[in-house]
Amino acid sequence: MLNHCRVLDLTNERGFLCGQILGDLGADVIKVEPPGGAPGRRLPPFLNGQPGLDNSIYWLAFNRNKRSLTLDLERPEGRELLQRMVARADFLLESETPGRMAELGLDYATLSRLNPALVYVSITPFGQDGPKAHYADSDLILMAASGVLILCGDEDRAPLRMSVPQAYLHASADAAGAALIAYYERLGSDRGQQVDVAAQESITLAGQSTALTALIDGEETRRMSGGAKLGALRVPLVWKCRDGLVTAVFLFGSALGPFSKKLVDYIHSQGGCDDAMKNTDWVGYGARLLSGELPLADYEQKQKVIANFLAARTKSELFNLAQQHGLLIAPLSTVEDLLANPQFKARNYWQPMTHPDGGPALTYPGPFARLSQTPIQYRRRPPRVGEHNREIFAELGLGDDALIELGHKGII
Amino acid sequence: MATGKPLADVKVLDFFWVLAGPGVTRSLADYGATVIRVEAAVRTDPARTVGPFKGGRSGPETSGLWWNNNAGKYGLTLDLTKPGAKAIVRDLVRWADVVTESFSPKAMRAWGFDYESLRKIKPDLIMMSSCLLGQTGPLANFAGFGNLAAALCGFYNFVGWPDRQPSGPFSAYTDYIAPRFGLAALMAALIHRKRTGEGQYIDQAQAESALQFLAMPILDTAATGKHYSPVGNFDVNYAPHGLYPAAGDDRWIAIACRTEEHWQALTDLMQRPELRRDERFAGLAQRQNNRDELDRLIAEWTVRFDPIATADRLQARGVPAHVVATSADMVADPQLRHRQHFVEVEHGTLGRTWIENSRFKLLRTPARLERSAPAFGEHNQLVLEEILGYSEERIADLVAEGALG
Repeated sequence: MLNHCRVLDLTNERGFLCGQILGDLGADVIKVEPPGGAPGRRLPPFLNGQPGLDNSIYWLAFNRNKRSLTLDLERPEGRELLQRMVARADFLLESETPGRMAELGLDYATLSRLNPALVYVSITPFGQDGPKAHYADSDLILMAASGVLILCGDEDRAPLRMSVPQAYLHASADAAGAALIAYYERLGSDRGQQVDVAAQESITLAGQSTALTALIDGEETRRMSGGAKLGALRVPLVWKCRDGLVTAVFLFGSALGPFSKKLVDYIHSQGGCDDAMKNTDWVGYGARLLSGELPLADYEQKQKVIANFLAARTKSELFNLAQQHGLLIAPLSTVEDLLANPQFKARNYWQPMTHPDGGPALTYPGPFARLSQTPIQYRRRPPRVGEHNREIFAELGLGDDALIELGHKGII
Repeated sequence: MATGKPLADVKVLDFFWVLAGPGVTRSLADYGATVIRVEAAVRTDPARTVGPFKGGRSGPETSGLWWNNNAGKYGLTLDLTKPGAKAIVRDLVRWADVVTESFSPKAMRAWGFDYESLRKIKPDLIMMSSCLLGQTGPLANFAGFGNLAAALCGFYNFVGWPDRQPSGPFSAYTDYIAPRFGLAALMAALIHRKRTGEGQYIDQAQAESALQFLAMPILDTAATGKHYSPVGNFDVNYAPHGLYPAAGDDRWIAIACRTEEHWQALTDLMQRPELRRDERFAGLAQRQNNRDELDRLIAEWTVRFDPIATADRLQARGVPAHVVATSADMVADPQLRHRQHFVEVEHGTLGRTWIENSRFKLLRTPARLERSAPAFGEHNQLVLEEILGYSEERIADLVAEGALG
């Protein structure tokens, strides 16, 4: 558990998740906000469409397990207070455009002199330096730049983004792991360092190594609704069933072929295909297609058999069959389906937390992992603006008088 | 640490396979951990059977996906039905700080390698299990790939056009989220162990990690009952916002205007200043309301030019824009080159192979990429002789027994 660690979270909306992960793992995370509240609090969409500093869904989703401190870092008094805190902090997280922290005198070179053991985590669109370091960004731009967008969507239209922003979640989750590697090293060396996370690079993982294709003269992967095209081969992963859509895998080779055999054996047992299809060697089938021994039409015709089988059954029937027979089939779910799924309920996954306004409880995705000795705990709902100013300044040895003065000056 | 490798003292016995797990141990290897990746002698890792393949030819050693997920690890093949192989595992558990596995929950118990058994061998062991839906609950034994978890989580419903069935994310989406959380959980356990001497067991449900990325719609639907359906490339904070055709075959440019300054710069470059006075496009809300017409006008402009050149021109004016990158674009991308995103490393049988670099940089103790993924059984001898100190005779007996496959 990281409950001995203090994190100064200076991130804007690019980096909220990083601090939340460290907070989930037990660290004391202080969200440092400008006096009027973090700009991320003003980011639509809002719950019930009602704007408010505690009602931005993005803010609420990624700022639990943090305390809030307001501090005007544009002003010397604010920076001085932050520097006092840096001396006692283990991590500092920031996501400013490269160069901005140096303008504030809060870059790694400066702060590491105050605290050589500081782990300083920078989350940016394209990295700390390089020709695109100052490129303007957004979720869409980064998904495009990482090689993932071109793989998604319908072949006859533009590629498609996931409509819930993902780019900085990938980067921020990586940043947490990277920060902890740096911290582990520090346990031996007593030295901190800067961690440089570029969202573009981080997201590439979601391209499933297709980025390597041009370097190794591989077959290009192209987008296709509910699947992908590998050269001329069309690989569907989404299929129609009687009452909706399911994902199902019907592929070949030594690893996936055995699953196709199980599926076809079951279909055969229900009279859904002939003996020739049942007796197909699915391990070697792909090689025969690629060598041209079998025409691609043979695979398409066999896909039709699978499609007919799936189309005649409901999502629930198919998911039950998948569990009984070890088939690779699962229903496409809505959020409503997800919230009703018995698996997550049985594991007490959904975590209620009060709304910062004191309104009805909010439902959060639960722990991202179950650690037996140091379990993740949801200790704090997202903080209100400056909610913890008093207690944090008391920890710094600043009393109420100092607090009132800083308030008058507009520093906090 | 003198070696400059942050995880030089971390030893990992790695039974992870496919994608979600090996992505975690790849990062550990990047930063200096010794990772012994066990492969079943009789069951091919699916990652070896999925491309991109070198020269477009599939084969057990030619998968770029395999190289990328397992670079820097030692490869050991075992037939776990053989007593000799189980004895090797027990010795490796004694050697290891961390044991990882991503079989379905019942498999490790069947072999006698569940956490309770292994901690008797190594009391301060960290063991991490990663499977689709977790070690407990009615669906614990529902095994499969990331596309199944992504479907159950609801990711498919967020990638699609309003007038069509959902297109869905590419391939096995939860496999690209889970490794990031898996790494954070495992590092937290390693830090705890280094400070207290205490090991522990980690149960990672890949779906439970991945759902962090759907926290927004989950909060919203649970609180307000809002139903989400596909919206194409619409985003409430931007207009215009989308992917526009460019010159060439299946070439696209992403453009995202958040501010009036972005809109002004875009219309300047389009040489359509009159659009700024057009009331259909006055302000974000109007541009969103009339986005079909707006997108048509922008596409008329973008389709005439190379997408990289257009993106550079837009970026020079501060407008968020980028080519929708293909593999060839990624390889040529000056930023990815600057960061040495693609690196060539030694491979046991192929000479050299390309892999992608660590996804993040530790500036004082950078990742050291020395080897590609192991060839099948490449380090059997090294593991048994140098790491476990087995005699030549004992190794010969194990080979004769078929313990190594």
